[in-house]
Amino acid sequence: MTDRQYIIGEFSPASDDDLIICRCEEITKGEIRRAVFDGMFNICEVRRLLRCGMGLCQGLTCGRLVKSVIAGEIGLSATALEDATARAPMRPTEMFIFAKEVTDE
Amino acid sequence: MSFDLMVIGAGPAGLSAAAEAASHGLKVAVFDENALPGGQLFKQIHKFFGSKEHKAKMRGIDIGIELLEETDSLGVKVFLNSPVVGLYKNREIVVRQKETVRHFKADSIIVATGASENLLPFDGWTLPGVMGAGAAQTMMNINRVKPGNRVLMLGSGNVGLVVGFQLLQAGCELVAIADAAPRIGGYGVHASKLTRTGVPFYLSHTIMRAEGRENVTGVVIGQVDENWQHIPDTEKHFEVDTICLAVGLSPSAQLLKMAGCKMSQNGTPVCDKSGETSLYNIFAAGDVSGIEEASSAMIEGRISAAAAAKKLGFISEKSFQKRSGELDAALSELRQGMFAPQNRNAPLEKTDEGFNISKSLLKKGYITEEEISEYPGFKPGAGIRPVIECTQNIPCDPCRDICPKGCIKVENIVSLPVYDENTNCTGCGLCVAACPGQAIFLTDDRPGKVEEGKVAITIPYEFLPLPEKVGPGMAYDRSGAPLCPAYVSKIQESAFLGKTPLVTFVVPKNMAMRARFWKAV
Ligand SMILES: Cc1cc2nc3c(=O)[nH]c(=O)nc-3n(C[C@H](O)[C@H](O)[C@H](O)COP(=O)(O)OP(=O)(O)OC[C@H]3O[C@@H](n4cnc5c(N)ncnc54)[C@H](O)[C@@H]3O)c2cc1C
Ligand code: SF4
Ligand code: SF4
Repeated sequence: MTDRQYIIGEFSPASDDDLIICRCEEITKGEIRRAVFDGMFNICEVRRLLRCGMGLCQGLTCGRLVKSVIAGEIGLSATALEDATARAPMRPTEMFIFAKEVTDE
Repeated sequence: MSFDLMVIGAGPAGLSAAAEAASHGLKVAVFDENALPGGQLFKQIHKFFGSKEHKAKMRGIDIGIELLEETDSLGVKVFLNSPVVGLYKNREIVVRQKETVRHFKADSIIVATGASENLLPFDGWTLPGVMGAGAAQTMMNINRVKPGNRVLMLGSGNVGLVVGFQLLQAGCELVAIADAAPRIGGYGVHASKLTRTGVPFYLSHTIMRAEGRENVTGVVIGQVDENWQHIPDTEKHFEVDTICLAVGLSPSAQLLKMAGCKMSQNGTPVCDKSGETSLYNIFAAGDVSGIEEASSAMIEGRISAAAAAKKLGFISEKSFQKRSGELDAALSELRQGMFAPQNRNAPLEKTDEGFNISKSLLKKGYITEEEISEYPGFKPGAGIRPVIECTQNIPCDPCRDICPKGCIKVENIVSLPVYDENTNCTGCGLCVAACPGQAIFLTDDRPGKVEEGKVAITIPYEFLPLPEKVGPGMAYDRSGAPLCPAYVSKIQESAFLGKTPLVTFVVPKNMAMRARFWKAV
């Protein structure tokens, strides 16, 4: 879904907007919904804006949930949305560990 | 460092792949992020279904020990505490080890990273006390910590049912199992094990909210209609300190995605028959390529490994054909029956043999007395004999293989077991202990062995403490309702019984076909 002209109407608050969806970064359903109404129709963009899925679990817990909130607002089924791009490191890894990369093997 | 084959994930799929490849002469390394190998297997303290070749009636943990002995003896190198943080299509991986990252290369890679648990957001879901069923299982069976005292389980698939039973074994109280679906998702035999101990099922119910300020102190569930909409005024409240979610698993396929494998919409990699992905010599096996079971994961791992061995020239085309033929046959056996992937959404009306499937079993978790008399394993009568309450077509047959007297027939792996009355059951109890569904009972009214007018009923009893012999107690029926006083006449424990103690209790004769559980009073 990349068509930003696509009109999904006006944002209106919902009773469960306070529900936390991404636990690691404490991002609520309302914040994700608002991002969608601001024109972010895919997981990567929402992730860049809100950091959901970028915490300790790296989206293992919330990935599906974020996806279903976004899909629900645009009126798509969750499988129609692309997953977030997968990148190294797959598990949270401190930079000092990367700095000690062993390269001579 | 480089290898012929690298396997990512040391669960049942990964370890089986490694063993198979090493047996064909490949130099193999396995990487797992955990401190202990085995993946899910070491949490599975229950007996597995299937047939001999699928290691049926063995507990997951014992299958794991066997697999590790196999990989050890074949010289497989297992790197633990080694999360793989990157996978690239030139078959290179990046691994975090201690405070460094290292690179490894191989001619072939099998990704066997398993799956992660789905969670469900609801009011209060971030409170301590809400956890995945798998997490509760890890706490109990790996870390030996009781997850809570009073638990509600959401989800009635096999994971919810198995973990529910293990919660009881750990001494927790399971107040209910709820599921939004209108029928129990897992095997009827698993559900019945819980129901007869008194655990109620709430089908067409979902969770409304968890209560509590600092941690869970209660839960509210409510009924939903066919369109999953909440029906007002159907709320039920339970005091609990733990809520377990068993609402499905998602393949952990991120590494494959990162490498650039073609993915299908459901999040699994697109694979050929041997598990090879769209990338040359990169395979996927086990839950990562589609959620199934440990039994099938092990075979998938071996199929991929055999294919890798062939592609690298370690085995000939001909021996590959032979080996993969055997493995394919074993796999397709497991994928039969009414719970097989291809039948997941089919209505459950009749068994293959044409028997009605118990509606009560699907909704309430037990078979009614009227329904049970229909099945071929249920033949009440005099003397000592097995009563087999296994009524759905599931891939399982150890009851047939274990009986030394040939009393139990199972035509093909998914057929309902039949008790053959023209045989001489000795009452050895092997079938009772072997049945992974705990669905076989013995009834005995032999004069001289059992008092006149009474019947002795033998049940599998995997709880501690074991009953006191001749202690007072109560017999319970299939629904978990108390029936009548009953005393324990015998307790059997032996290595032959695969660590399933048998408890025999005595009740009046008219209770023979009703009493299915015993509790101390
Ligand atoms: C409660 C429950 C009950 C079950 N009961 C049964 C049963 O009775 N019979 C049956 O056949 N099956 C059963 N199963 C299913 C079975 O456990 C799984 O299907 C099986 O474990 C899948 O095997 P696997 O090797 O694909 O994955 P797993 O066992 O999940 O192993 C994957 C391994 O890969 C590791 N890993 C993942 N990512 C990385 C990475 N990036 N780097 C390094 N390591 C990584 C993981 O830590 C893990 O150790 C049950 C499952 C559950 C949850
Ligand atoms: S009790 Fe022993 S002899 Fe009787 S049916 Fe079971 S396994 Fe066979
Ligand atoms: S009765 Fe036989 S087929 Fe049924 S679960 Fe038990 S061992 Fe398996």
